[in-house]
Amino acid sequence: MNRFALLLVTVLAALGARDAAALDVFACEPEWGSLIHEIAGDAVNVDVGTTALQDVHVIEAKPSLIAKVRRADLVVCTGADLEVGWLPQLIRQAGNPKVASGAGYFLASDQITTLEKPSKLDRSEGDIHPQGNPHFQMDPYRVLAIAKALAQRLGELDAGNAAKYQQGLANFTTRWNTAIKGWETKAAPLKGRKVVVHHWSWVYLNTWLGMEQIGALEPKPGVPPTSAHLASLVDLTKSAPAFAILRAAYQDPKPGDWLSEHTGVPAVTLPFTVGGDDKSKDLFGLYDSTIDKLLAVVK
Amino acid sequence: MNWEGLELSILGPACIAGLLVLATHVPLGQQVLARGIIFIDLAIAQVAALGVILAQAMGVDEHGYGVEIAAAIAALVGGALLTWTDRKWPDYQEPMIGTLFVLAATGAVLLLSNNPHGGEHLKDLLVGQILWVSASQLIPVAILSVVLLAVMWLWRARLSGILFYGVFALAITASVQLVGVYLVFASLIVPALATTGSEGPRRLVYAYATGIAGYVSGLVLSAVLDLPSGAMIVWTLVGCGIIARLLLAAGGREKTAAARTVASH
Repeated sequence: MNRFALLLVTVLAALGARDAAALDVFACEPEWGSLIHEIAGDAVNVDVGTTALQDVHVIEAKPSLIAKVRRADLVVCTGADLEVGWLPQLIRQAGNPKVASGAGYFLASDQITTLEKPSKLDRSEGDIHPQGNPHFQMDPYRVLAIAKALAQRLGELDAGNAAKYQQGLANFTTRWNTAIKGWETKAAPLKGRKVVVHHWSWVYLNTWLGMEQIGALEPKPGVPPTSAHLASLVDLTKSAPAFAILRAAYQDPKPGDWLSEHTGVPAVTLPFTVGGDDKSKDLFGLYDSTIDKLLAVVK
Repeated sequence: MNWEGLELSILGPACIAGLLVLATHVPLGQQVLARGIIFIDLAIAQVAALGVILAQAMGVDEHGYGVEIAAAIAALVGGALLTWTDRKWPDYQEPMIGTLFVLAATGAVLLLSNNPHGGEHLKDLLVGQILWVSASQLIPVAILSVVLLAVMWLWRARLSGILFYGVFALAITASVQLVGVYLVFASLIVPALATTGSEGPRRLVYAYATGIAGYVSGLVLSAVLDLPSGAMIVWTLVGCGIIARLLLAAGGREKTAAARTVASH
């Protein structure tokens, strides 16, 4: 085993794959990988566990995932039970005490308040998250709050570069605040408009831009629709009227297309996270693309 | 290429899980093949999943042993039901198994309309995640495997009826939770299918060798190619099955040729 580890190190060193001095960070989702990159630039090595075209509630176990968490100094995930189906197993299997708890374990949900936090826990309400809705990457203000906490955490783990992380944060904050103003001005026509959603993924975007969710294809989160539900949803979508049916890039287009056919309301596939479409190469592109796609159908 | 996942401490537990599954499934697979009831594992696994969902609907804690017990009881009831249909309508056993499978699968969907958290458990049971296997999961399965192997050995001449379906139900329930239905199906059928030309203990040895080669090469390839392990192992199992088939056929021809030479002298 030791010999094998030595071989591994030699191979990696020969490939020059990683900078040994830098922090290794494992991000569960692409939006956090992108955020770390904005703050820390090349000072950290970032591995991202999932892609935008994956349902992050469930992922397939690959040996490389365990290896990445094993060598990580910091794990950055959404939290609020989004990854509850696999992150605990992944961390247990990796056996890396640095990221099992404490400073090496960063949950974005701990840094902000979530919406849709249930007042009572009841299975009959569907696949709800007791810690609130975890899809908060589409609220720029929450992203900024998370960025601040993340820069702080990076500085705690890597004191030598703490000033650099704060510098990166300040730079990001300036650009982000400017961008938010641009987006808010641009998205003004969306205010007060009604949408139907596929999964309950858009509450933060809706709240930010002043849109209103009037219905969901999944009657309760994670539960497939019944025929009675679909019939009432068709009526609701037409009479409200909704201007768009929203779904994420990873979701099955069939339910949204069906509703679109029965109501004439366009179904819009939004990137949902970094990498969800060609334009969403980073967080800025993600928001640009999302707002452009909504404006394209709002008329 | 990706060498970083190629570590014994990552692949080791998964490999042991695979060996445990093979231990009971290779002999059972030969029975399943001989009886022509290929899809019985799918049916039993679905019934076990239904048991879990029912237990949760009745308020059993989803993380305790209660769930395992519910799965085992449901699987045994399913096994008893199939024993009865086997006796009553032996010619229609395969369609009966198919019907039980779709009933259990859709029964889960109907129950899940009120219990979406059962859905996660159902998915775990069907897809399985061999890499997430932990030592605490392996020990009970190891004990169960030893007991089942002992039963199969002691009653090897009369492993039929309720005894066969009972052993099968318990083995499947344990293995499905460990590695998922796809791997369970492949572990049962592929080694048995690859060695149909051989007989007795020799066949068992060939079948075990095929299975072990399949699991080990699948785990290594999934690490090197960075692909999901369970699905990769299914493919390497079939690959090893084909290689075993070719080797055995070549060996068989040589032996026949040798026998002919001896006979002609």
